[in-house]
Amino acid sequence: METYLDKLPLFIDTIKSMSETIIANIVFIGQEPAPTFKEQKRANLFMERLAEAGVDECSTDGYRNPIGIIRGTSKTKPPVFVVAHLDTLLDTDVDYNFTIKENFIQGAGILDNSVSVGVLASLPEIFRKLNLRFESDIVLSGPIQSMGKGNLRGIRHLVKTWATPIRGAVCVEGSELGRLNYYSYGMNRGEINCDIPDSGKWENRFRPNAILILNEVINQILQLSMPQRPRSSIIFGKISGGFKHGIIAYDAKLGFEIQSDSDKMVKKIYTDINDIVDGISHENGIDLKIQTISNLKASKLNYNHPLVKSSVAIMKKLGLQPISDPSESELSIFLSKNIPAVTIGITNGKNYHLENAKMAIDPMFKGIAQLVGIIMAIDSGVCDE
Amino acid sequence: MNNNWLKENTFHHSEFKEIDRLVEEKIRKNLTIALCLPTLNEEKTIAKEIIIIKSELVTRYPLVDEIVVIDSGSTDNTRKIAREYGAGVYKATDILPGLETFKGKGENLWKALYITKSDIIAYLDADIKNIHHRFVYGLVAPLILSNNIKFCKAFYDRPISTGKNKIRPTGGGRVTELVIRPMLSLFFPELTQIMQPLSGEYAGYREIFEKIPFPIGYGIETSMILDIYEKWGLDVMAQVDLDRRVHRNQDTKALGKMSFVIMMTFLKRIEKLGIIKINKSMLNEMIQYNLVHNNYKADVFKIEGIERPPIIEIPEYRKKFNIS
Repeated sequence: METYLDKLPLFIDTIKSMSETIIANIVFIGQEPAPTFKEQKRANLFMERLAEAGVDECSTDGYRNPIGIIRGTSKTKPPVFVVAHLDTLLDTDVDYNFTIKENFIQGAGILDNSVSVGVLASLPEIFRKLNLRFESDIVLSGPIQSMGKGNLRGIRHLVKTWATPIRGAVCVEGSELGRLNYYSYGMNRGEINCDIPDSGKWENRFRPNAILILNEVINQILQLSMPQRPRSSIIFGKISGGFKHGIIAYDAKLGFEIQSDSDKMVKKIYTDINDIVDGISHENGIDLKIQTISNLKASKLNYNHPLVKSSVAIMKKLGLQPISDPSESELSIFLSKNIPAVTIGITNGKNYHLENAKMAIDPMFKGIAQLVGIIMAIDSGVCDE
Repeated sequence: MNNNWLKENTFHHSEFKEIDRLVEEKIRKNLTIALCLPTLNEEKTIAKEIIIIKSELVTRYPLVDEIVVIDSGSTDNTRKIAREYGAGVYKATDILPGLETFKGKGENLWKALYITKSDIIAYLDADIKNIHHRFVYGLVAPLILSNNIKFCKAFYDRPISTGKNKIRPTGGGRVTELVIRPMLSLFFPELTQIMQPLSGEYAGYREIFEKIPFPIGYGIETSMILDIYEKWGLDVMAQVDLDRRVHRNQDTKALGKMSFVIMMTFLKRIEKLGIIKINKSMLNEMIQYNLVHNNYKADVFKIEGIERPPIIEIPEYRKKFNIS
């Protein structure tokens, strides 16, 4: 490990010398809109860029996840996966054309997750330039249908149907550089919909207000006791409803997420919320429904797992201070299958989910060196317990 | 009228996507290619154009030998950014300093002929938001692969960026359809086969560009087509469909000024060719009106209609390129 750790700081300048290739890939891929469920064009582009970089095996799996395989030198070592989800949060009607200045790139979806996909597409050429060959096959993939209602379907399919064992995985996110995720909370992401039918008659003015109904739901959820152990929380992340200022709202929607490091606790809290919804629905004679959008099981690597320890060492060698939080992403799918995996960030930025998201160019080169280091660590056997 | 031209000399960029083949042919013919980006306050788009072209057509495929930015005196960071990303950057006023200085796109293109060394020069506007290397290889491919074609012009399906990050799916080309196409239909119907005669992207051999005059401003595209047509005919020209180009929208008043210059250039050209006789000297002021505090105020845009002569007539150029 020492040998490649020492090389890492030197990698940064070599990677920086390829900035045009890397930025070009980020721009080509990122400027192709890819909202969840509409990723096909970006998937094709990703494979085109890999093919352009000399990757012979570029194809899609049965779920249309784009994949490129860089063949390793060993016929027996399982593959290392490097994944960056392909989909973006914003829809196709926004301008995806990026602006590049001296120090940053700005544009819709750049941080989540176009920069990462562009970096993945550049890896074959980066490996060549760094003169790196691996024992394992390196599987580069941009899973589709990851975010929101996509519910990680792409990565679930990819991992579930992969024919061989997987040696380890790195999940790549745009920001922030320094993040090191190696555990996922159990999670249930849901929506509560309140629809009050319009009778079309004068008594309409006395019907319940959907916003006030949801307000009552929120109040009752807030009265649920949240244990410190297992650590659990409910996040209210989205709310919408109503038509105009002077009219009683006849529809409203609340998006929430239950997080806990215990799957049982996630289930219990969900049941409690379901009971609240049923009760309010019954008492007010209205149509109040709860539905699950996506869910994940809690999974983790221990801090002393060799992959985590190596990742920490790599980051520190590059002058990065690792910050660990739970991550509900591709990571949890790998971990739930007992495949050692971490999620890292590539660069720094701001306006993460806005149309004017902005990524810093210079830190990205260190972020890529970190990614290369972790791939080298996995290839050297840190996941082979 | 030669109707075959449209069929035989119109290409789609996808016909040329095997760039290694273009590079092979370029080497076989011992050609060099320069890309020129004329700029005036293009800090939002210039870096992307340079990076994409360098990455794909210099590093990955050695098709382009020179990238130069000729700047009209930007007050933003255009020159700094362009230099940072590795283009050769020149202020137009610093080139051929012994000559009287003018400001305009045509001036920059003309001076690029002096600064560059290559056999083929491709000109791209610097405000293309969806830049792709097809904009360059699509334009130069017919010049490399054909023995007859000496000038190639781009055309597009052009959505216009309407601000606030929203894109309108169709539009653009208003000056083309309302000004230049009617004029061409009246006097040069063959040239109506050129889909977008005013598009700002074209490539050609130095041997063509150095022998034609360059208006210093908006009239450059109009004069270029008419002059090449008159000197060498339609068959040396080609056009290539580059699909979509996203650019900044211009308001109607700006397009009015552009139209004024184009009409002026066109009328001067056809008078020079003896096609019409204008019995009154044309004025050089475009007058538009603004409503200011309930009063109509004239907004006068003065254009001298200055043209640079064929650069081959300039002694410094002849000296640099050893033309006796």
